[in-house]
Amino acid sequence: MKSILTANIVILSLAAFVFSSCGDDDAPPIENMEEEITRITAVFTNRDDASDVITAIWFDEDGEGTIDPVVDDVVLSTNTEYHLELFLENTLADPVEDITNEVKEEASEHMFFFGFTDGMFADPAGNGNIDGRNDPLNYLDADDNTLPLGLETVWTTGDATTGDLQIILKHQPDIKSETSTSADGETDVDISFDVTIE
Amino acid sequence: MNRGILLSILICLTGWHTVNGQDETCEYSVSGKIFDLETREPLPFASVQVQGTTKGASTDTTGYFEINKICQDEFDLIISFVGYKRVIHHHDVYHDLPTIYMVRDQVTLESIVVEGEQMPGELKSLALSEISGKALESSRSDNLGDVLSNISGVSTLSTGQNVVKPIIHGLHSNRVLIINNGLRHEFQNWGVEHAPEIDPSLTERIQVVKGAATVRYGPEAMGGVILIDGPALDLHEDLNGRAGVQVSSNGRAIGADIRLQKGYVHTAYLAQASYIRQGDLRAPDYMLTNTGKEERSLSFGFRYHQPEYNLTAYYSNFYQNLGILRASVAGNLDDLENAIESDEPTIIDPFSYDINNPRQEVDHNLLKIKGEWFKDQHVFELQYGFQVNHRQEYDVRRGTLNELPSIDLKLYSHTLDGAWEHPEFRGWNGNAGFQYAYQNNDNQPGTNTVAFIPNYDLHRIGLYLTEAKMFGENRWEWGLRYDLQAMDVRGRAQDNSVYTNQLSFQNASGTIGFSRNISENLNFRTNIGTAWRPPNVFELYVFGRHQSTIEYGIWRYDIDPDGNVLTDVILDEDDREVKSETGVKWISSLSWERNKFRGEVTGYVNYIGNYIFSSPGGTTSTVRGAFPFFLYDQTDAIFTGVDAAGEWRHSQYWNSQLKMSYVYARDVKNKSWFLEIPPLRFDYQMNYKPSIVFLPNSEIGLSVAYVFNQWNAPPVIPISEVQDAQESGNAVYQPGSTFDFTNPPDAYFLVNASFSGGWRKIDYRLDIRNVLNSSYRMYTNRLRYFADEPGINFRISFSYSF
Repeated sequence: MKSILTANIVILSLAAFVFSSCGDDDAPPIENMEEEITRITAVFTNRDDASDVITAIWFDEDGEGTIDPVVDDVVLSTNTEYHLELFLENTLADPVEDITNEVKEEASEHMFFFGFTDGMFADPAGNGNIDGRNDPLNYLDADDNTLPLGLETVWTTGDATTGDLQIILKHQPDIKSETSTSADGETDVDISFDVTIE
Repeated sequence: MNRGILLSILICLTGWHTVNGQDETCEYSVSGKIFDLETREPLPFASVQVQGTTKGASTDTTGYFEINKICQDEFDLIISFVGYKRVIHHHDVYHDLPTIYMVRDQVTLESIVVEGEQMPGELKSLALSEISGKALESSRSDNLGDVLSNISGVSTLSTGQNVVKPIIHGLHSNRVLIINNGLRHEFQNWGVEHAPEIDPSLTERIQVVKGAATVRYGPEAMGGVILIDGPALDLHEDLNGRAGVQVSSNGRAIGADIRLQKGYVHTAYLAQASYIRQGDLRAPDYMLTNTGKEERSLSFGFRYHQPEYNLTAYYSNFYQNLGILRASVAGNLDDLENAIESDEPTIIDPFSYDINNPRQEVDHNLLKIKGEWFKDQHVFELQYGFQVNHRQEYDVRRGTLNELPSIDLKLYSHTLDGAWEHPEFRGWNGNAGFQYAYQNNDNQPGTNTVAFIPNYDLHRIGLYLTEAKMFGENRWEWGLRYDLQAMDVRGRAQDNSVYTNQLSFQNASGTIGFSRNISENLNFRTNIGTAWRPPNVFELYVFGRHQSTIEYGIWRYDIDPDGNVLTDVILDEDDREVKSETGVKWISSLSWERNKFRGEVTGYVNYIGNYIFSSPGGTTSTVRGAFPFFLYDQTDAIFTGVDAAGEWRHSQYWNSQLKMSYVYARDVKNKSWFLEIPPLRFDYQMNYKPSIVFLPNSEIGLSVAYVFNQWNAPPVIPISEVQDAQESGNAVYQPGSTFDFTNPPDAYFLVNASFSGGWRKIDYRLDIRNVLNSSYRMYTNRLRYFADEPGINFRISFSYSF
């Protein structure tokens, strides 16, 4: 019994030696989190006055961590036509990664949907196209199939009011069509801004 | 009495020559029992001869025979009976006495010889169930989890139809240990959507030990142990084998498998291969898009045998490419709500064999080299195993990222096991052994996502001893074990900063068991054993979103004095102590056999302290909207339940079987229920063997299953309430209690039918699954929110044995 135990111990230590020498001490490789979007910048430019630019940022510093995002208010002037451009970034990547171009390149698989307090804008009228694909919305860009994308849109304010603006980016590979809605595909972005028109 | 049991398990059914120091006196004897394989009734008046001698005997009315005054310590027994296939069994006196199951001439099955009661782990007091022969044949192209669910007390936890894990008595993943061809199957078993990479078409026998068999098999055997064995490498065999094809209507699957074997005087060879391709499955009302799969496997075995020792080498490779229902991808809670409210999956395409994202590609390699020595009634065994598990998981991502796996892990495992079986000492028989394992887990570069789990190196050492003794009709047994596990962890946080840790866990386990033949027909077994499981890297370090939930491992969150959950920390054992899970399982079975009835009832209570689980900690906002987040923590749990099975032989033509299983699982600390615990289930099967002249050996089977609704389920919190909670700041979760987004699916009733038969060397079989084409969902399918289970399926299979 004793000799067998000794033998076992010898074998064990031998095995431990042999096997540990073939391991490595490396950490996992550095990977950029290309999936994540952590910062979205909405730039409203007055179409009649290029120097009148309003920028609102939605920023979630820790992505999938528990820290809640910091969101700027959007403050627009009454009776003004704005060109809205959206910029998407991943600040968790180093250097910060621009995702706007990725979405542009994959335009045929992506579409932005917008929803807002009913009647908040003079144009588009209504409450946006989240609840109805064909509801009014002024897209300025399109994919190769001439279906709207939504990185660039046009908004005309009316009288002073307050409300909120919801922006949804849907990933719709092989699904995007003339009839696909905000309920189709996977959600890449679903954020809201508080809006004041004064 | 059970000396040689280890041996029988290792090289069951095959000859084991020994050279014994004793003189050749004619003092050896052999006795055994002979049964009909199919009816399991004793065969009286069968003839047993010792080859090359005039010695022989006939069986009595109980099938018993005895031959005395044999001069050799090893010999061939020739067993014959009119109308049955002749059996030649090589026996040596060091083996347990054989039980022989003979088959009728017309049947293509082979006769089976069992030496001793093949109780793995040498612990006879543990409940054990087995699938082999015909039952295994009927599910040859199923996945392993589904095959195992034919055993009462075993159910499945699935992610769609292709990813299926076994649940034993309510426990799964790394609370169930799988021993494949004598090696602990090493894979990424922390994931509920990681099925064991084992091809059931290469297996010959699957056994399930339902008790806490930790003492023999090591950590993680909390719920039980699954033992999977390939065909035995028999000596003295002409070239033989089997070739089969199967086609299925649902999924338009086609599969084929082949096995070749040959045995010489000292060597034996085995080669096996199998392939299956399946397209999209179909539920009664719609296609299940992207549920195709492709699997191929290959194995080789070699054995070299000498009287004093036996060497075996075995290699196998299993490759799987498994599609996962396309409509199961949910980007956020709104997507999930859309999917739940929709009667049909949100994406339905026409039938296709294409396997797109989401999918899993897994390649598992196994190499085993084993030596056994027999000396002066000692048996020594040494086994080295090497496994490489390469798992790649592809998610639906943006653009070219679809070509990159989100998870790409290689797990290298080396194991060295030694065992020693000692000769009987004052009535005690027993085993001692060691098990050593070294593992290296490596994240492969190029996933473009921060590694989900860290890299690690792991060393695990275990020493055990089990002993058993008969005291009159009572058999007592006990076992002790000590394990030490050390782990060196290196991971990356979300900002790619490196974290490291050195962890070690140790534990002593014990078991004590008792069995008794109360009467000739009644047997009682009871066993109480402890089991343990160290926390795994996933439970400690997981971080982030998967589908529509976010999870944080035990060391990836902190709670500040105001009760806010902070996730910008990486803790260690000094900040938050994590204890190993420790369980105590008491399991008892009563089995009886009387006239034309056989039955068994098994009851168990399994208490697990420091049970690791995740429960909701709140809701957080991300760029995709609000998500509930789950925090890993420890609690105390109880799993208790009953399995029962009965078999009646009504007549020469009719027989039937009834099975039931029930498990009650409760978080006793938080007084709450667990998710995805299998509900109460009843199965009844009826078989009829008509005597049709032109269709010999045909059998018609009809089985029905009734699965209840799970009434012991966590509370339901609808998605809208979860979302509102984020806005209003109201607490919707019970502390420590988990929840579900929907009610458990309704009870369902399933009907399967089969017709099988054999003609000369060809076996054929028709299976019809879900005969009524019923729409139903399973509570233990994680894709139950998205789609129904598959509808009717006709499967035809042919096999040729030669």
